[in-house]
Amino acid sequence: MPIGIKSYGAYLPKYMLPRELIGKAWDFPIVPGTKAVAMADEDSLTMSVEAGLDCLAGIDPKSIDGIFFASTTPVYTEKDSASLIATVLDMREDIITADFADSTKAATSAITRAVDTINANKDIKSILVVSADTREPEPSTMWEYGFADGAAALLIAEDDSIPLSIEDYYSVSANVTGPWKRAEKDKFIRTFEVKMDAKFYVESITKVMGEILKRNNLKPEDIGIAAYYYNNPRMHGRIAKMMKFGQGVAQNSLFFQIGDTGTPMPFMLLIASLRRPKPDDKIIMAGFGDGADAILMQVRDKNALRDLGKTRLGFIGHQKSMTLLKNYNKFLEYKELLDKDRYTRKSSAVTIWRDTASVYKWYGVKCKNCGTIQYPDIARTCYVCRADDPFEPVKLPLKGTIFTYTLDHLVGGTYLDTPVPRCVIDIDGGGRVLLNMTEIEKPEENVKIGMRVEITFRKEHEGAEFKNYYWKCRPERGRP
Amino acid sequence: MVRKGISDKVAIIGCDMTKYGELWDKSQYDLLFEAVQSATKDAGITKDDIDATWIGIFYFFTGLSGAMVEDILKMDGKPATRTENYCASGMDAFRNASFAVASGAYDIVLACGVEKLMDEGGSGLPGFTLFGHPLYPTPSAPAMFSMAATRCFHEFGWTKEDLARVAVKNHDNGSYHPKAHFRSKITIDQAMKAPMIADPLGRFDCCAMSDGSAALILTRPELAESYAHADDYILVKANAISCRTNFPWYVPPNGPGADFTAFPSTMKAAEYAYKEAGITNPRKEIDAAEVHDCFTITELINCQDLQFCDRGQAAEELKNGTFNWDGETAINPSGGLKSFGHPIGSTGCRMLTEITKQLQGRAEGRQVPDAKIGLCHNLGGAFSVCSTTILSQRD
Repeated sequence: MPIGIKSYGAYLPKYMLPRELIGKAWDFPIVPGTKAVAMADEDSLTMSVEAGLDCLAGIDPKSIDGIFFASTTPVYTEKDSASLIATVLDMREDIITADFADSTKAATSAITRAVDTINANKDIKSILVVSADTREPEPSTMWEYGFADGAAALLIAEDDSIPLSIEDYYSVSANVTGPWKRAEKDKFIRTFEVKMDAKFYVESITKVMGEILKRNNLKPEDIGIAAYYYNNPRMHGRIAKMMKFGQGVAQNSLFFQIGDTGTPMPFMLLIASLRRPKPDDKIIMAGFGDGADAILMQVRDKNALRDLGKTRLGFIGHQKSMTLLKNYNKFLEYKELLDKDRYTRKSSAVTIWRDTASVYKWYGVKCKNCGTIQYPDIARTCYVCRADDPFEPVKLPLKGTIFTYTLDHLVGGTYLDTPVPRCVIDIDGGGRVLLNMTEIEKPEENVKIGMRVEITFRKEHEGAEFKNYYWKCRPERGRP
Repeated sequence: MVRKGISDKVAIIGCDMTKYGELWDKSQYDLLFEAVQSATKDAGITKDDIDATWIGIFYFFTGLSGAMVEDILKMDGKPATRTENYCASGMDAFRNASFAVASGAYDIVLACGVEKLMDEGGSGLPGFTLFGHPLYPTPSAPAMFSMAATRCFHEFGWTKEDLARVAVKNHDNGSYHPKAHFRSKITIDQAMKAPMIADPLGRFDCCAMSDGSAALILTRPELAESYAHADDYILVKANAISCRTNFPWYVPPNGPGADFTAFPSTMKAAEYAYKEAGITNPRKEIDAAEVHDCFTITELINCQDLQFCDRGQAAEELKNGTFNWDGETAINPSGGLKSFGHPIGSTGCRMLTEITKQLQGRAEGRQVPDAKIGLCHNLGGAFSVCSTTILSQRD
């Protein structure tokens, strides 16, 4: 049975920073375009959840046998992200999990491991590969123009109906000191000599793509789509020429729209390229970082691929609801580069573990006596009929409507923007909850009773010195 | 629920309060000492006549346990208990003290409350990052009540101007009260233009942080005849408390209080109290009421929940003067929490002191003409706890 891509999803944060604002902030030569910027309540974990939700639209998360997470910016160096993402996505517990890290090719490497695992293990039929990066550039360096934030997910499965099969992969390893981040000290990426970095990039990426063509007796003109990572936008076009790909084969680098999102970039390029696949197209996806991976794919069902595009926000769907940041300072604030005094809320890893169903998996309860759905499941008695222990768990939708709200100026805790909209939300299908709102500008004008909201997984605070995640609401972005 | 009750079984024979305000030079011990000294003096007794004490304190930093009373008053080892029940802590101390004398277990009991908020700084109630669940949102106190305001604006068409009228009335009343924290009148325009705290509540819609203490001396009516206020002691007609969830925002739409335009704890406590006191027409029968105006919206909703007017009509009734000190039902003739601030554990005892003096005709400020029956009302938490007490002149 063929192994390949059964579904895809992506996530781009709400905000884009116009590069002009960076140029003006530092008196740099202006570079055109915009780049995607995550808010301070987002990180590679929360963005992976979003990409995972997009990818799993209409797919039962409990049907998936594993999850791999790929990032150069995981939120912990000990404690994996994959298991937390799996929990939030409401996947089973008897699954395989792994984090792939430390190189921007981690995402393509994770795909190769997923293919091999499915091939080798008859009990594993599908693996969700999620990838995200929050690439923090050092202010007033040229890195600021490139580094961006985002996430993407590919569901790898062995299935007769997969629209895009994986035919082969090929990898090379290359060691060069640059760019790097020392685990114990560096907040920002360093480099020694960018020209040498570029030389290694060109060598690795052309070698890996050239070899995979050769192994499969293909010529450059046989390739319909080439979605390959770049670490330098100028190099991207040169690679297409060096590879002798046909006109329009190399997927646009997206540098001018969203910038360089790092690890998930090859997935994003692939997803962006899958809008109008030709029948029987052969596709190369390539990742780079201390070497390179190339993955050769074959379109099996172009209509199914197009349908995926219609039922997921993917790349274009997210792009449509992005808005521009109005000033450079907001960018510094979102990247938490402003030294602010922050309250720390109390926390308890014990409480959070005990309440996993409510706080991570987004379950409420349904009263077997009167049928009322309620959240959270802290109560042992029904709010409405007052029956004792009448509940069964129920998975809640991530959409709702504002019943009432306030804009709280008197806040303690790590809040991104004040006032904080505190919204009482009627969850679709039943249950009521209080959630803070994120991604809202001018809340005085824009928050209203009756407003439709989507519920999104975000970083709340760092009480007890760990990452405390919970759900917030946001104005609709159209997530399926 | 209400069985024999305590109607006519408890008499207030002495009471007083400290000055309320930003009392930088006084500790909670000073305040408690002063309130109890004045109350015992008012009753014509000494501290040695007191058999037991209940003290309302909300915050741990004000004081823990009944030993707080011994610390400053040196009661020679007599029993003392701290009660905590959010903003009803003080009135619940009074309730427990009432039961103690009504039961005959004690003859003379001290009910008091104290809170020292300003030692923690004045920017909102402290501790909100310490309370509750690590992840579920913890709105500030004004944010909790603002969510009701937003809903009332939507349902009843109330406006910020309607809220401002509450602040204007209460600050006007408070300007006559020598013990009030704030004694300046304000205008509707000032109230409406004040900085926002939690939309739609601005600074003048919120009560202030403040320090203060109040104390009352209780006994049984037959014993009351032999003390200083033999002729004008005050009778407890009813004392009810109702608790609802701490998390009204999780109550499903078909659950109690889910509409956010009424506080079900107040409705229930009022139902208990009126039944016990035999009151059938609160608007006509209650002459003066100290109700919990922690926020202006709270007072409007209270007036409806306590049945002083119909649902949705409180703003209009206020505008028409129904709730003025010389109106049909005087609401917060002292100036309320708006003028006194809200040293949490003390507020219930302050209200009881205020209404006692109103019914005795010795109110320090706006004496309500011919006040015979009065009501005190606290509402705490996220509209979670309500205490309602009805007092009357002796027979």
